[in-house]
Amino acid sequence: MTEFLFLIPLLPLCGALIILFAGGRMPRRLLTGVAIASVAASAAVTLWLWPLAADQSRATLFTWFDAGSLQVPMELLFSPLAACMALMVTGVSALIHVYAACYLHHDPDIRRFFMLFNLFVFAMLVIVLADNLLLLFLGWEGVGFCSYALIGFWYRNPVFATAGRKAFLVTRAADVLFGIALLWLFHLTGTLSITAINLQAASLPPASVTILALLLLAGACGKSAQLPFSSWLPDAMAGPTPVSALIHAATMVTAGVYLLCRLFPLISLSPTALAVIGLVGTSTAFYGATCALVQRDIKKVLAYSTISQVGYMFLAVGAGTITGAMFHLLTHAFFKALLFMVAGAVIHLASGEQDLFRLGRLPKRSPMLFWLLLAGSVALAGVPLTSGFFSKDAILAACFARQTLWWTSLGVAGLITAFLTALYALRLVYLLTADREAASGHGPAPRGLVWPLLPLGALALVGGLLNLPEVWGGHAGLGRWLATPSGLSPSHGLEWGLAFVTLLLVAGAWFAIRNRYRVPTSPVSERPCVDFLIAGWKFDSLIRFAITAPFERLGSELERSLERGFTTSWPAGLGRLCQATGQKLRVFTSGSVSHYLVAMGWGIILLLAMLLFLLIF
Amino acid sequence: MPTLLFYILAAITLLSTVLCLTRKNPVHAVLYLVHALFALALLYFLLGAPLLAAWQIILYAGAIMVLFLFIIMLVESPVADQSSRRLSRWLPPAALSGSLLVCGGALIVMDPAATAVISSYWLTPRDFGCALFEHYGLAVEIISLILLFAAVGAFHLGRRYRPNSKEDVS
Amino acid sequence: MIVPLGHVLILSGLLFVAGLLGVLLRRNLIMILIGVEVMLNAVGLTLVGASAYWRNPEGQLFALLLMAVAAAEVTVALALVVYLKRSRSTIDVNRFNGMQG
Repeated sequence: MTEFLFLIPLLPLCGALIILFAGGRMPRRLLTGVAIASVAASAAVTLWLWPLAADQSRATLFTWFDAGSLQVPMELLFSPLAACMALMVTGVSALIHVYAACYLHHDPDIRRFFMLFNLFVFAMLVIVLADNLLLLFLGWEGVGFCSYALIGFWYRNPVFATAGRKAFLVTRAADVLFGIALLWLFHLTGTLSITAINLQAASLPPASVTILALLLLAGACGKSAQLPFSSWLPDAMAGPTPVSALIHAATMVTAGVYLLCRLFPLISLSPTALAVIGLVGTSTAFYGATCALVQRDIKKVLAYSTISQVGYMFLAVGAGTITGAMFHLLTHAFFKALLFMVAGAVIHLASGEQDLFRLGRLPKRSPMLFWLLLAGSVALAGVPLTSGFFSKDAILAACFARQTLWWTSLGVAGLITAFLTALYALRLVYLLTADREAASGHGPAPRGLVWPLLPLGALALVGGLLNLPEVWGGHAGLGRWLATPSGLSPSHGLEWGLAFVTLLLVAGAWFAIRNRYRVPTSPVSERPCVDFLIAGWKFDSLIRFAITAPFERLGSELERSLERGFTTSWPAGLGRLCQATGQKLRVFTSGSVSHYLVAMGWGIILLLAMLLFLLIF
Repeated sequence: MPTLLFYILAAITLLSTVLCLTRKNPVHAVLYLVHALFALALLYFLLGAPLLAAWQIILYAGAIMVLFLFIIMLVESPVADQSSRRLSRWLPPAALSGSLLVCGGALIVMDPAATAVISSYWLTPRDFGCALFEHYGLAVEIISLILLFAAVGAFHLGRRYRPNSKEDVS
Repeated sequence: MIVPLGHVLILSGLLFVAGLLGVLLRRNLIMILIGVEVMLNAVGLTLVGASAYWRNPEGQLFALLLMAVAAAEVTVALALVVYLKRSRSTIDVNRFNGMQG
């Protein structure tokens, strides 16, 4: 039965191929039907095979590479971790596919879109299920390519196309480091199988493990838009909203977290690397939250929020709780995909307006959308008893349970970030409900844009049940299923305390936001600090100043000195020399036969003289 | 006796060659050349090559020279070939020929073989044919091909000249 | 026993130089060709003399081949003369300067 595991990634691939080769002759309904059905079937297969995950089933299709000691089998590992992730990816993808079919109803390029969308799901599932790092890398680059192509889906707009290229290049820079880690791992262990590497991890030299973990972290940071590779994600919002929801909120950006989780037995051997991961996660979470606080574009708010929430997951990995990271990954996938799709529907209703200060009156226009927005926002804000509350608290509890100065201070920073999160989540709600002269739009939201959100809304609210801590009367189901003991058991007092602090923070945030945004407001005046935050701490300018501009200068310098000086002027000089010599030599080609004959005669004499010379000496 | 014959024939050859090359009228030149070729044929015979001597007369003095005569009549060149009297025009060829003679003469004088007296190496037509076809069959084939190409080329060049046809881009 | 080899060589050398002078100094294309014929015959004489000196038939064989090549050369050259006379209406080599650079 294990061979059926290959159906999970292959079904979306089949969908992509069918659309690619036969999509042109299909009616639009059939085309979207194929796309949705392939992903939904994949989700169904995942559910069907769920029992296999308990005993770490693996399946090998064929040997991909067989070169000396390098053996790369097409091997899938269906561990509990992979099963969770695969079910989330296929399930959320299926819902977003349905949404996208409605959202892009009038787009002429629907075939390209769904081909890439299905291909993306395939690549993502390869990442999730691969037991071999090279196979994982294949999926890793596959999602990168699909992300690039879908961000620039409306490629006629040069800004969108540039955003796609930026995402591709930034993630590629990080992938180089990931590739180095891969090669080094192969050099050290002689294998690329994740299982084997994790088994051998303890025998590796500690210094190498630290550097390897940091390289893997860099790769993960690129894919997950963590500092310092975060600047591509806000620009990636140029893509259609379903793309943002699927790729840049629910699945691809969490691939970095997932990678670290898969290789956790290796990474956890280096306390330094764990500390750095925690630091990166916390600082990114804080950075994203501050930026999200002031954005005017509804999708950019969610983008920075995604950066921030993925930062929490990194913090969880750093704190050593895989369960916490996966828990937050799942709940975040639910509520962030929900929020993105609500935002897409809102934008759709306002016929393309994305400025928060020109949107509003959502409860009157579409009550259902408003309730869904509220569900997503409270989960994001971490209002007690919602999914976000439980998952975030689990992470913070793990930090405090470590009881060292480093992790406690990271935990405090996480709490401050949680407060900021509540602030911007509620700001979003208040701005969207404000009773102001809003951009006009057409009719109520189509049903296709609303009903795929209902399951996600429900999950955002009650997703906490997945891993309800024992304090709250639950069984920590996810933790048991994943069976990755973190070695940390937060005391009940700590958990209650955290819950209380979170409640206080949310309430405080609510009061603050309510006072600020209860009456319809105009955008804040152009203050320097607001500009600074809106521009994402001027990160793009910094990169431009520190990397791009020097590189351009170097390039133009080389172009001037080397290219023009060496490869252009030198051959040109040679050419001129030849030409001048030719001009001088013209006189010898008199065209007169007798001259040529005389020259020939001198040649004969030369030969004879040589003979004479040889004869004499 | 053969020695005396050699020098007489050499003198005739040289004299008629010089006369040939200094004639203004090409027809006269060709006739002097025929004279020289006859003398050469006799020299060949003297040195032991009767077959070559026969061919020299048949091929050279016969066929080729007749061809020359035909072409001269065909072309009907007006005799406008007065060589310039100026020294500058004569100087390079004269210097050339002078150095050629000096070099060649020096080579001949210095070669010890030059003093070796030769006798005629008599090669009957039969021996000649055997030597030719035993070792140089391929050369004969190649020569025959060259002759064929020359014939084709001559045929092509000799077609009626049409000023406006596209082959004649001269 | 006829003559020393050197005398044969001197004769052919003189013939060669005479032919060369003809080639270089004459402007009539036909006269140039005649000069070339003289030079070729000088070479032929050398070959026959060498054949007698080395007691070897190959010199004579090559003299034959030389004759055949000369025949081919004359064929093409004379055809060219006719062609040039038709197309340029002259056979004065000083007028053929189309290759001037």
